[in-house]
Amino acid sequence: MENIRKKLSLITQIKKNRIAYYLLVPALICMILVHIIPMSWGFFISFIDLDIYTITNWSNAPFIGISNYLEGLNVYSPTGGRFLRSLWNITYYGIVVISFGYLIGLGVALILNQNFLGRTIVRGLILLPYIIPDSVAYSVWRFMFQARIGIVNKYLLSWGFISEPKVWLVGDKSIYAVMLASIWKGWPFTCLILLAGLQTIPFELYDAAKIDGASTWQQFRFITFPLLMPITTVLLLLSVLWNFNAFNQFYVMLGTDPGIAADVPSTLILREAFNSFHYGIGAAMSVVLLVVMLIFTVFYIKKIRTGETVQ
Amino acid sequence: MNRKIERVIKRVLLYFAVIIILISVLIPFIWMLSGSFKTRLEIQASDSKISGKEPSWIPRKFTLDNYRTVNKEVKILDYFKNSIIISLGTMFFSVIIAILAAYSVSRFSFLGRTTYSVAVLSTQMFPGILFLIPYFVMFIWIRRTIGLPMRNTYWGMIFTYTSFALPFSIWMLRGYFNTIPREIDEQAQIDGCTKVGALFRVIIPLAKPGIAAVGIYGFIMAWNEVLFASVLTGNETTTVAIGILRYITAQEARWGGMMAACLLVSLPVLIFFTVLQKQIVSGLVAGATKG
Repeated sequence: MENIRKKLSLITQIKKNRIAYYLLVPALICMILVHIIPMSWGFFISFIDLDIYTITNWSNAPFIGISNYLEGLNVYSPTGGRFLRSLWNITYYGIVVISFGYLIGLGVALILNQNFLGRTIVRGLILLPYIIPDSVAYSVWRFMFQARIGIVNKYLLSWGFISEPKVWLVGDKSIYAVMLASIWKGWPFTCLILLAGLQTIPFELYDAAKIDGASTWQQFRFITFPLLMPITTVLLLLSVLWNFNAFNQFYVMLGTDPGIAADVPSTLILREAFNSFHYGIGAAMSVVLLVVMLIFTVFYIKKIRTGETVQ
Repeated sequence: MNRKIERVIKRVLLYFAVIIILISVLIPFIWMLSGSFKTRLEIQASDSKISGKEPSWIPRKFTLDNYRTVNKEVKILDYFKNSIIISLGTMFFSVIIAILAAYSVSRFSFLGRTTYSVAVLSTQMFPGILFLIPYFVMFIWIRRTIGLPMRNTYWGMIFTYTSFALPFSIWMLRGYFNTIPREIDEQAQIDGCTKVGALFRVIIPLAKPGIAAVGIYGFIMAWNEVLFASVLTGNETTTVAIGILRYITAQEARWGGMMAACLLVSLPVLIFFTVLQKQIVSGLVAGATKG
């Protein structure tokens, strides 16, 4: 079969599979209109001076070369400074949220992988944070973090960690409130994937290890952890990509302007384009973000396509 | 004897850990429920510093007012209607388009299949903010040149969300189709089905659970989306994800109403999830990890 296919010329091969292309047409149209054209257009916009006056007639906006990039990446300009700070913020946020999310997810997965009464129900319940809408979850956390009427400060006060109600959602500390809420919302997914991974590890390995007298820790260290490695890599890459996109949690908890300490690229670009009407600079920042994401995407696709993940 | 005690202690610790996990998962939900039954006065007057007035888990005065007046100042029921229309539309179109595309990728080894698969995988990864500005400019351009309104219309939103749901849907469904043995549709073709006929007569009936999962994914995605909704919807098309934020304004904070609305907005998603938990979970796992 393989041999015959190779002998077919290019054209006959395309003709033979014509139905395959027809079936793809609707999906391709969507992809071209929503992904490819806007992406190329965005690339183009990043080189022109598009503002509130030229937005309705974008082809007349002056071409200004890489000025938008220079403005967006200049540490000394206010916009550029904030953009670089937002890149740092999202990195910091990502590191904290991903590592805690992974540790909690792994710990809970190990616990839920054991047999106990009501295991199915518990497994369903822990997914609740993951499935409820982002704006619902973060609105509730926003309420909980309120200085005077929120529940967080009540406990911090009564346990003596603070003596005055703390304002969580404004200023330097606001990013930590968002981190906590995001960890709460994000770890169930990690746990779900790791549980699926744990279930693929054959029982015999543990039986053999027990016969050899391996302790629980040794079983984890030399069987569970190495065998979870491939899925962990995929999961971490996916988390990096998703967290770099983080917008909802910042927007819902802190508003369109989260302040310098908690500003992230998504919120900054949104303001730059739709509040300050600097569409060109916003587009340039988006392109910079895309380049960073592309690196991780390439790794992710390579990993996922080599097929060394759970089957 | 010693062994037995050790086992009992291990059991107790296990249940203890499970309870801790459940509590930390459920705390915000309990807070949401409790807040939705409190009077506006109780919430506004509570103060974490004054004893006797601290925010409490159990409402001091139980009320249903928040539910009764949930639609009064914020038109959440209108937003609900908008969200239902947009989400059902997204579900419908993304399922149909994804079935066709996934069948094509799963059953034909056509020229460009690898390129297409990689393209599908990578578009799923790009941040929404990348597309938002050019997309917005494109909407304005379409309006001006063709005269077709896109922004603040149902179908503009449905088209947007369908396209964003597609990469993951196609990927998920492709994995599902791959688990159906090829022999089955080959047999159908021997019996006189065309390739497309085999899709409708054999593959689709067999893949119903996978198709349901993809449909729910599209619905939930459209229901939950915030970024594009915040820019592309207007008064007539505001979705619930944006709508619930309106309970808090610069003048007034209606936390009780917001919590009641939060509960209402979560309901459709929770119902779908409870009914189809198995399919959604397996779909999510496969979609994220299988190449």
